[in-house]
Amino acid sequence: MTDTPHRKLERSATGFMLAIVAAASVGGIVEIAPLFTIDNTVENVEDMRLYTPLELAGRDIYVREGCYACHSQMIRTLRDDVERYGPYSLAVESKYDHPMLWGSKRTGPDLARIGGKYSDFWHVAHLSNPRDVVPESNMPSYRWLATTPLKLGNLPLMLQAQRAVGVPYTDDMIANASADARGQAVPDSDQSAGVSERYGAATQISAFDGVATNITEMDALVAYLQVLGQLTKAAYESTAAPEQMPNPNN
Amino acid sequence: MDFTHDTIVAISKSWGLFYLIGFSICVIVYTFLPSNRKRFESAEREIFDKEDGPWK
Amino acid sequence: MGQLTSGERDLAGLVLVFMAVIGIAMAAMGGMEPLGIHGVMVLLCSVGLLFVLMSSAFGPAPDPARLSKYYDDPIKVGVGFTLAWAIFGMFIGVWAAAQLAWPSLNFDTSWASFGRIRPAHTSGVIFGFGGNALITTSYHVVQRTSRARLADQFSPWFVLLGFNLFCLIAVSGYFLGVTQSKEYAEAEWYADIWLVVVWVAYFVLYVRTLARRKEPHIYVANWYYMAFILVVAILHIVNNLAVPISFTQAKSYTIWAGVQDSMVQWWYGHNAVAFFLTAGFLAMLYYYLPKRAERPIFSYRLSILSFWGITFFYMWAGSHHLHYTALPHWVQNLGMTFSVMLLVPSWASAGNALLTLNGAWHKVRDDATLRFIMMAAFFYGLSTFEGSFLAIRPVNSLSHYTDWTVGHVHAGALGWVAMITFGSLYTLVPSIWKRQRMYSATLVEVHFWLALVGTLIYVFAMWNSGIIQGLMWRTYSEDNALVYSFVDTLVAMYPYYIARAFGGLLFLIGAVVASYNVWMTVRSPSPAPSPAGDDLPIGEHSATVPSAAE
Repeated sequence: MTDTPHRKLERSATGFMLAIVAAASVGGIVEIAPLFTIDNTVENVEDMRLYTPLELAGRDIYVREGCYACHSQMIRTLRDDVERYGPYSLAVESKYDHPMLWGSKRTGPDLARIGGKYSDFWHVAHLSNPRDVVPESNMPSYRWLATTPLKLGNLPLMLQAQRAVGVPYTDDMIANASADARGQAVPDSDQSAGVSERYGAATQISAFDGVATNITEMDALVAYLQVLGQLTKAAYESTAAPEQMPNPNN
Repeated sequence: MDFTHDTIVAISKSWGLFYLIGFSICVIVYTFLPSNRKRFESAEREIFDKEDGPWK
Repeated sequence: MGQLTSGERDLAGLVLVFMAVIGIAMAAMGGMEPLGIHGVMVLLCSVGLLFVLMSSAFGPAPDPARLSKYYDDPIKVGVGFTLAWAIFGMFIGVWAAAQLAWPSLNFDTSWASFGRIRPAHTSGVIFGFGGNALITTSYHVVQRTSRARLADQFSPWFVLLGFNLFCLIAVSGYFLGVTQSKEYAEAEWYADIWLVVVWVAYFVLYVRTLARRKEPHIYVANWYYMAFILVVAILHIVNNLAVPISFTQAKSYTIWAGVQDSMVQWWYGHNAVAFFLTAGFLAMLYYYLPKRAERPIFSYRLSILSFWGITFFYMWAGSHHLHYTALPHWVQNLGMTFSVMLLVPSWASAGNALLTLNGAWHKVRDDATLRFIMMAAFFYGLSTFEGSFLAIRPVNSLSHYTDWTVGHVHAGALGWVAMITFGSLYTLVPSIWKRQRMYSATLVEVHFWLALVGTLIYVFAMWNSGIIQGLMWRTYSEDNALVYSFVDTLVAMYPYYIARAFGGLLFLIGAVVASYNVWMTVRSPSPAPSPAGDDLPIGEHSATVPSAAE
């Protein structure tokens, strides 16, 4: 019995395993590797701002409650998507999203540009019991968020971890994370000025859940929903018609 | 050489294709190599052999 | 565990004490936070297993004759885990489906809201049910096709129990709100690290067992199991790279951002389907189908070609989940192209299975177990065709974000994954417990029809709702305005959501029937050993083993 290379390959399971890895990994490498340099092609958007500590905490609540299971945050380059939800999403808009929350199912509507569409009051009423506002809705109610205090102590750790994965939070932002969360949810407090200074004048400062005395998870979640689609105006300035796809060559 | 996004995309697109073709040829050769025929035929039937315990 | 040698008992004891210490440390650091609760769970599991171990630790050394037999004790326990997770995961699925029709069914609690139980359902059925089925059958198949006993008696238990600990930590975490939101990889960093440890042990065990084989050729089923083990390891590690906010907290942030994260997540997500839910279950098909039908596979060479086709093509297909998004267009096109090409190896596998049955259709008619396997191959062919179809960009523009995708996934999950698993279990259980047949052939028949009707109701409901909603979203009036608001399209979904919950319920009842049938098969008295040369007998010695193992 002669030992062909094939036979040897299979006789020793090691070679066989290497062949599996070689075959399986190539597709992933070819598709994923070029995405690391994609920042070169995404136009540099100057007005792109970071999530404030309160918004980041709200984002984490959005993740914790699994909102992404029923709501997408990705408006496709299709006419009906654009007419229903707004200008199609650009890559740059989620460049600070760890993880991305593009979603895969619309049991509820897309939320990529929900920010500013409804009042804070509407969001609080809707989250407390969706059927009070939209009788046909099948969304769960999240009334306990309004009575659960937000853990402010974690915020510096969260910003630090975000910086570790590449989001450019400054030392100043990390040091003032808890104060900024309070400042954003308690208008006209001593800490409010710092929020606008660090995150931009357009940052919404509001008693999101209507109660300025304590900071709850409802404050954080509404603050996050109100900033969706508001981090940059780049998508509104994009001139390409909806049906036209992004440049196929990049 | 300057490693821009376009370079990497070009490498991905060309190299990926060559790899696909080369790999497919290797697999087909392996499968239809006449000297492998006997082995595959016995493998097809070996699961029906007596299997009441490990072989010594 | 009665067959563990004294060295293996010491090792097991040491590992369990070490785990208990880790549990205490997690509990101390986490306090009342989820990490602390998980610490207590790790502690309780380790101490509980330590008790089981101690109860036999000072028993006599195992009989050396055991080495001339297969090591089947972990398989028996694995069958139990598989069925328990099936009932749990499918129950949560029916509950989640019912919540979409009747939203008050979460009883206004946080832990039972849809967003939290949905990952409990997906992880419960994919990892709990599917993962245990894969580990259990792989222990069975690798021993039989290699004519070799598992390499040792400690690592099979470590892998099986460790994997179930991972599932327990992951699923209980979702109820507590511990999730990193990556679909089908929601478990947080500490559970992910533990799974890597377990998976390395699984890999080493598998390779060591293959190395002991007495057959020169590695049977094709083992190729699929190997691809499953290896590639899942790669996917799991890359997708779950993350930075915890603190080592005393469960929360972490993935290192990937935005468009890169979307590609990594769906590269993982689609290949979890490929290598967890396809490759591993094709391994079952290539062993249990020929065994049950008592006919060799139609073409062994075709199975080799489709193996490499699947291994190679699947990895490119993930981007079809991201059509028309901000992902670069050429990556979307690449994903579409390879998804369509995937149809070739997929249908080669399905065709190979169905052609194997050609000439044995009378057996399919009489034997519900074989019919499970046949139906699984049929649904495999159906859902791979549907998958390639939905990956085409214009089709995807209609189907994406709708229930059509959900229906497609469940045609695969119920019709393919669950049916091949039940067909394999009905073949494996009598063989492992040395019974002539299952306790009741009628109950297998009942289960088959419950499963088939449940799947069809589910899939048809979701096809209808998905296509209707997709069309409503894009309906324009004559003056070019959108006709339906989002809520209009949601209202149209309610009848289908009720039908879907009903279909799922039938499937769940089927799983309960299966568990009862397996339980009664195990309980029924062992028959007298049949004559030598039969597939089944190992003799009386092994009949005493189950009590020691459980």
